[in-house]
Amino acid sequence: MKGLGEIRQSILDGDSNRAVELTKSAINLNVPAQDILDQGLFAAMDTVGKLFQKGEYFFPEMLLAGTAMKAALQQLEPIFSKGEASYSGRFTIGTVQGDIHDIGKNIVIMMFEANGWLVTDLGIDVSSERFCQAVRDSSCDVLGMSALVTTTMPKFKETMDALKAAGLRDRVKIMVGGAPVTQAYADQIEADAYAHDAVEAVAKAKSLVNM
Amino acid sequence: MEKMTCVERIFRALDRQEPDVVPTMEIFIDPKVRDAILPGASYEDFVDFMDLDAIVITDVANERYEILDRAKNIIRDKWGVIKRSTGELDSFPIEAPIKSERDLGSYVPPDPDLPWRYDELKSAVKRFKNQRAVVAFLVDVFYVVNEIRGMADHFMDVIRNPELIEQLNQIVLDYNLKYIENCIEVGAEIVWIGGDYATNFGPMLSPRLMERFAISPLKAQIEMCKRHGIPVVKHTDGDISSILDMMIGAGLDGIHPIDPVAGMDIGEVKMKYGDRICLVGNIDCAQLLTWGTKEDVRQAVKECVTKAGAGGGLICASSNTIHSGVKPENYVAMINAIRQYGKYP
Repeated sequence: MKGLGEIRQSILDGDSNRAVELTKSAINLNVPAQDILDQGLFAAMDTVGKLFQKGEYFFPEMLLAGTAMKAALQQLEPIFSKGEASYSGRFTIGTVQGDIHDIGKNIVIMMFEANGWLVTDLGIDVSSERFCQAVRDSSCDVLGMSALVTTTMPKFKETMDALKAAGLRDRVKIMVGGAPVTQAYADQIEADAYAHDAVEAVAKAKSLVNM
Repeated sequence: MEKMTCVERIFRALDRQEPDVVPTMEIFIDPKVRDAILPGASYEDFVDFMDLDAIVITDVANERYEILDRAKNIIRDKWGVIKRSTGELDSFPIEAPIKSERDLGSYVPPDPDLPWRYDELKSAVKRFKNQRAVVAFLVDVFYVVNEIRGMADHFMDVIRNPELIEQLNQIVLDYNLKYIENCIEVGAEIVWIGGDYATNFGPMLSPRLMERFAISPLKAQIEMCKRHGIPVVKHTDGDISSILDMMIGAGLDGIHPIDPVAGMDIGEVKMKYGDRICLVGNIDCAQLLTWGTKEDVRQAVKECVTKAGAGGGLICASSNTIHSGVKPENYVAMINAIRQYGKYP
């Protein structure tokens, strides 16, 4: 549908005003909200992710597209109520204790939301106790932990151990990421997955949920 | 080959010529690591003890922060960025001073002429001149503006409000140029400019925008140094392979670290660019120096020297800094290995 294609393009262009205007028009034309979401917003962000991986989009383009997508999404939120929309999964993420970088985490959140996940952002400098509490309190399919600084990486293991000690480890799939993190390190601490970037994070989370 | 002084060694390497042995220098060596190797020693005494070829005076390590909340380690730096200190070299920004264009009118940049900014540099020059190279390290315009404006807004503004970023670039550039000039006047012999341009995925901006917002102010800083005959080394983490040509074309003498965590191979860079630039790096400090064995470290140094040392043009260093997580024995092993494997015939 032409209108949905224009919504996709407005998001790819990072044009929040146009994305909102076109989404409102589509709603007024009684285009099903789920179609606007899937074929407009999410499809656009899927393309954004691919362009980022190909090295054609960079942080500015990605952030502007994400901002446009969120602005358009706000127009749709009143339409959705419980039961009308189903989420791909529930993803909770935080930066480990002592680490307060959040740009990578925020891009990961953006991509998860763009792919229909319900995301809980625990923020930065998250202690192992808070990670445990988050798993205990809310249904969470995948728990993501990120770190940008080598010196905070031991906190990953500390959190894994805390989850095991609290009997919570089997309730959730654990994914780790961040600049100094590697697959080998993820294996060493027995995480369920390691993601190199936001796009890979979403793909691997989907696999973890479908297991 | 006759034994050279540390200064001669460093300058031969920067000039892409063979010294007597591969030199070494670091942006920063954490006090905890220094203290484990030489308890109670000052930074200057440590440099002498380890016989490092250069002493690097890092502006960030010598800054006087305004303490906003001692209990929560919240500080404000000279640019007005509110940060949380974690005990490491870098404090992390949590609030930017320029939240909108309106804030620009009342923004007061720091004063580069405050005498205390140069105390450590003056001391290093007095002690080490003609023996070890004295290096002044400062943070690049691109990185500072990223903190002043806030990361997400900076990245979006390069497309949605480029004029604001140009103005912020100029404010920081004016400070940096004066700071560099003052450092040279005090006696700095090399300028090392930090601040990342890339992540593991590649440059933060497209090459076109990197040229406008990062390389252009870098060139201005390089030109200031060249006017005084001072070589320039640029640090950036990440995969810079797509912008390395552009960076070298700006007139750099050295590039650090050729980030192994980002998948960069120092041997490949040497083959492609070794005739144009000195390579400074690239012993992994994220995993190897932190959790590896001494033997692993020795092998990594041997590989680095073999891949990148031929004909000179290599200064062996860690891939970032000797941060607090680096095992002290691994840093000692690294230095010993450089001396063992880095000898030129």
